[in-house]
Amino acid sequence: MKAPALEFHRPDTVGAAVAILADGGGAARVLAGGQSLVPMLNLRVAFAETLVDIGAIRELATIEDIGDHIRLGACISHARIEDGGADSHCSGMLRHVARNIAYRAVRNRGTVGGSLAHADPAADWPVAMIALGADVEVSGTNGNRKLPVEEFMMDVFTTALQEDEILTGICVPKASPDLRWSFHKMRKKAGAFGEAIAAAVQDPESGFCRVVAGSSAIGGPQRFAMLEKALQEGAVDDDTIRDALTGALGSLGRYETQIHTVCLRRAMEEVRT
Amino acid sequence: MLRREDARFLEGRGRFIGDIDIPGMLDVAFLRSPLAHARIASIDTPVDADGRVFTAADLSDVKLVPPASKVPGHRIVAAPPLALDRTRYVGEIIAACIAPTRAEAEDLVETLAPDFEMLPVIASMDDALSDDGTRLYDDWDNNVSMETGFDSGIDEIIANAPVKVTRVLDMARQAMVPLEGKGVLAYWSERDDQLVVYSSTQSPHQIRTALCEALGLQQRQIRVIAPDVGGGFGYKAILHPEEIIVAALAMKTGRPLRWLEDRFEHLTAGANAREHRYEMTAYADDRGRVLAIDAKLTTDGGAYSVWPHTNGFDAIQASGILTGPYDIGGYRVKTQTVVTNKPPLSPYRAVARPGACFAIECTMDAVARAVGRDPAEVRIDNLVKAEAMPYKAITGKEYDSGDYPACLLRAMEMVAEGPKTPAPGRLLGTGYAIYTEHTAVSTSTISHIGIPMMPGFEQAAALMQPDGSLELRVGVQSHGQGMETTMAQIASQVLGIEPDRVVLRHGDTGLSPFSTGTYASRAIVMTGGAVAAACDKIAVKLREIAAHLMQCEPSNVHLEDGQLRGPTATMTIAEAAETWHFRPYELPEDVLRDGLEVTGGYRPDGDKGPFAYAAHAATVSVDPELGTVELLDYVAVDDCGTRVNPMIVDGQVLGGVVQGIGTGLFEESPFDDQGQPLATTFADYSLPTAAETPIIRLDHSETQSPYTRFGVKGVGEGGAIAPPAAVVNAINDALRPLGAELCAVPATPKRVLGAIFDAQDRAIADLEVSK
Amino acid sequence: MTTLSLTVNGRQVSTEIDPRLNLADFLRERLSLKGTHLGCEHGACGACTVLMDGMPIRSCITMAASCDGVEITTVEGYDQDPLMSRLRKAFREEHALQCGYCTPGMLATAYDIVSRLDRPDEDEIRAELAGCVCRCTGYRGIVRAIKRCIAEKSA
Repeated sequence: MKAPALEFHRPDTVGAAVAILADGGGAARVLAGGQSLVPMLNLRVAFAETLVDIGAIRELATIEDIGDHIRLGACISHARIEDGGADSHCSGMLRHVARNIAYRAVRNRGTVGGSLAHADPAADWPVAMIALGADVEVSGTNGNRKLPVEEFMMDVFTTALQEDEILTGICVPKASPDLRWSFHKMRKKAGAFGEAIAAAVQDPESGFCRVVAGSSAIGGPQRFAMLEKALQEGAVDDDTIRDALTGALGSLGRYETQIHTVCLRRAMEEVRT
Repeated sequence: MLRREDARFLEGRGRFIGDIDIPGMLDVAFLRSPLAHARIASIDTPVDADGRVFTAADLSDVKLVPPASKVPGHRIVAAPPLALDRTRYVGEIIAACIAPTRAEAEDLVETLAPDFEMLPVIASMDDALSDDGTRLYDDWDNNVSMETGFDSGIDEIIANAPVKVTRVLDMARQAMVPLEGKGVLAYWSERDDQLVVYSSTQSPHQIRTALCEALGLQQRQIRVIAPDVGGGFGYKAILHPEEIIVAALAMKTGRPLRWLEDRFEHLTAGANAREHRYEMTAYADDRGRVLAIDAKLTTDGGAYSVWPHTNGFDAIQASGILTGPYDIGGYRVKTQTVVTNKPPLSPYRAVARPGACFAIECTMDAVARAVGRDPAEVRIDNLVKAEAMPYKAITGKEYDSGDYPACLLRAMEMVAEGPKTPAPGRLLGTGYAIYTEHTAVSTSTISHIGIPMMPGFEQAAALMQPDGSLELRVGVQSHGQGMETTMAQIASQVLGIEPDRVVLRHGDTGLSPFSTGTYASRAIVMTGGAVAAACDKIAVKLREIAAHLMQCEPSNVHLEDGQLRGPTATMTIAEAAETWHFRPYELPEDVLRDGLEVTGGYRPDGDKGPFAYAAHAATVSVDPELGTVELLDYVAVDDCGTRVNPMIVDGQVLGGVVQGIGTGLFEESPFDDQGQPLATTFADYSLPTAAETPIIRLDHSETQSPYTRFGVKGVGEGGAIAPPAAVVNAINDALRPLGAELCAVPATPKRVLGAIFDAQDRAIADLEVSK
Repeated sequence: MTTLSLTVNGRQVSTEIDPRLNLADFLRERLSLKGTHLGCEHGACGACTVLMDGMPIRSCITMAASCDGVEITTVEGYDQDPLMSRLRKAFREEHALQCGYCTPGMLATAYDIVSRLDRPDEDEIRAELAGCVCRCTGYRGIVRAIKRCIAEKSA
């Protein structure tokens, strides 16, 4: 269980990193905290001829307050958010999500950007960031672009990143002081990936409302417009949730339907009351 | 007394097998079968692989080491160390690759191109027993490797019993997961004319025996050394194919070779524990007094028989204790061990007893429900009473001593005082389990049940040093049990010298007398007895020396607190030892020619193994919507006779309980219908951690065994026996309002919800019928 | 090969390494610091936990080449650190180890819990320990040892 032979680069600017990726032609991979990628390399279920370690790029390790949003550099660790690094009205939710990812030793290395770019269907940040309406910033040979996390997460372990692109930052909209949020994760034990994750966010001031679920069973994060409407109308019942799940995902096993329904309902009720 | 072994581990100075560097050493990685059942058509190896890649053809001179069994009709197939032309489980070894580092050895593995022809897979007990004609072994007429049975004659009880309760109870397959994987390192030592084999093993002498058989060497030609071992739990008490391969290739290549099991290998090729199914029927009177048990047990034996225990060990052990600590007059059991395309079933901590306890204890709760009584009270009525000891059970086993009802009453009392507040919407339940466990299992017992080559005498060497300090050498291996401390305590008890003047050398065939090793909760009984016997001999010799120096009879010299006291004088042990070593002129020339180095031996009186026992109680909180279970409280009251070191006893019980909680709530090695293991990393194989474990509260009683030195009983395994039963009984207590009952472990959310769904479906069906 | 310069247990190390090496293998095989144990090699058991710039990390899933310029402390590197001395004493007295294989990672994690958190209660301690597997002790001794060091801290 040792990583295969590979080349290693540790550039100190985004431009240099992008250039190496472009050179690599798809055989190069970005290494952020490595808390998902390195285990997969050790198990030899992921491959990379070249690793581009972006941990030395300083601009990716900053948290900035920019007008209507907080910008998290891609290499901000979960632990830094857990410790209150991203202060805003949604920081309670960010801290809650961060604190419940894996274990402190993993959170010290693992990064928000890495989690989004890895796109594990059972990961927490994709669900949380979609629920908060966040955008990601991406840099590549052809310049920079910004897109909603919801569009960035394309499929299981698949994002909108091109071969020569790096996720550089996450922009989380500042919410009002009245923001209400709930994040429910059902898991087999502490630190484990969620069997079912549900997030509900409602900002009465702006009318912003999101209901999102995620897990391997449902193939990654899913927004449920129907439930957002129901939540805003104040009606939350299991039949509606089950209909929403079936509508979005087709048939789901009885167990999976049950745990996602319960997590969604609990999240929505918590926001409502 | 605190543990003497702790200091080196706390400072990172332990010496585990992965820490040993031998100059010129190469690493081994294996090509393992990706398929559960396949014919190996060919293996393409790179042109330059000569001397670096080895397959079965290269080990044709290595002999198979089949375990022996006296069970009539028991079909034994020893695993070839490297698969010949067919692989029978995912993870079976096909080729060995050698390189300067493990990473490069794995690179080499990736260059091999095996070509397989797939064969139909037997992925479960049901597959094995189906009559579709699929066979694991072409020349067998079915897939059953062993069948046993016992019948005390219960037809009359069946005909008259007012209450009949039937349950099918499943315990999943799991992996044992010592935190340090298995490992082996071997090289030929020219100076010693010996193959030196470092192995992460619990049983160095046994491994030496097996390797000699495989390699055609005399026992003097192999030295097996177990360095610090990072947990064993039975996984390291069996012969592993890797031990044979690495030893054989070290001889063939003339290079020191090392293989260290990684976690992926362990969770796939090592998914080899538990997996029992019990079809239990209890016949009882209308107060729940159980009159007879009629049981059928099926175990999934995997593809081969492990050495030395065979794949039938679980079935034999479980059926031999299935009536538990109860006074039950009628017993009928049939067992069948089936072969499947899975790793060979191997003995895991408390071998089979967690399954047997789960079966009888869940059945006991079901009986209590059937008669409308409290499960703990029904148990009290059924338990063997203290005044009935020694008690001959219907299984033929003799329970030596103890007060089982008092033990359960104490557990009830303790759990009643425990936390009882579930979160809103959660269901609360309390469950019990009680067991009795044959520890330090004796030669006659094991031989009787069919495995001829097993424990017997135990020996210890005691070497008094010139300064009066003492070196003990034992053949068992301490890998967490704290024997460096407890054996010193025993020597101290006998000789009166300070424990820190005693050292224990263990786990090395080159240093110690023969031993079958550390397993079966035997070391404190057997090795403790042997250490005491050796120290007794030393004491006689010391008194003889003192008597000469004091001009009195040895019978007038008393050894007390490390002092030799005669009628007129006193001397220290050190003075006596020093006299013999350095001033023999002070002693007559015919005195103590054989010196102060002795071997003492031990076997319990009547060759009887003592029965330890315990009652456990659990309180759980169940989320009926998600199926999640939180353990709020756990209580264990045990009796292992005299406790040599109470702190270490607590540690053994606590560690066992948490492993049992793992079996009960978390740990599972599922396979798909193609025999592919589905829990291959810790992301899927869930181990209990501190966060899942409540404060476990312990209490003890000490009923001395009449048969053992100091009245001790073994305690290494017992903690793991009761938790699956206690936890499931607690869950079922919580689920009562829903009419749901769970009959399988681990009690994952999916299984708990499954039980609730079944109850809902039954309720709906009943409603339909009533319409 | 790639160049790596870092500080390990107070000692400056500059060397060429195979870039595929993880930090644990680098410490064990290149620096002979065998106290860092491998239990799973996928970041899930905690045995290989060491401190990087004072924070616990998993050395099995940290590429050695990513550690340029950092300061690593392994179980061999605490010298007379007063907190580690207290932890070791408490681990011994509370029977917080049996086979000793998880112990180096447990100590690093315990060191972080006691130094980073103010006064965690038992539930918090247990939650913080969730990433560290001990297969022997049942955790009670480990939790008690940490509780004791926290109590000593605030005393």
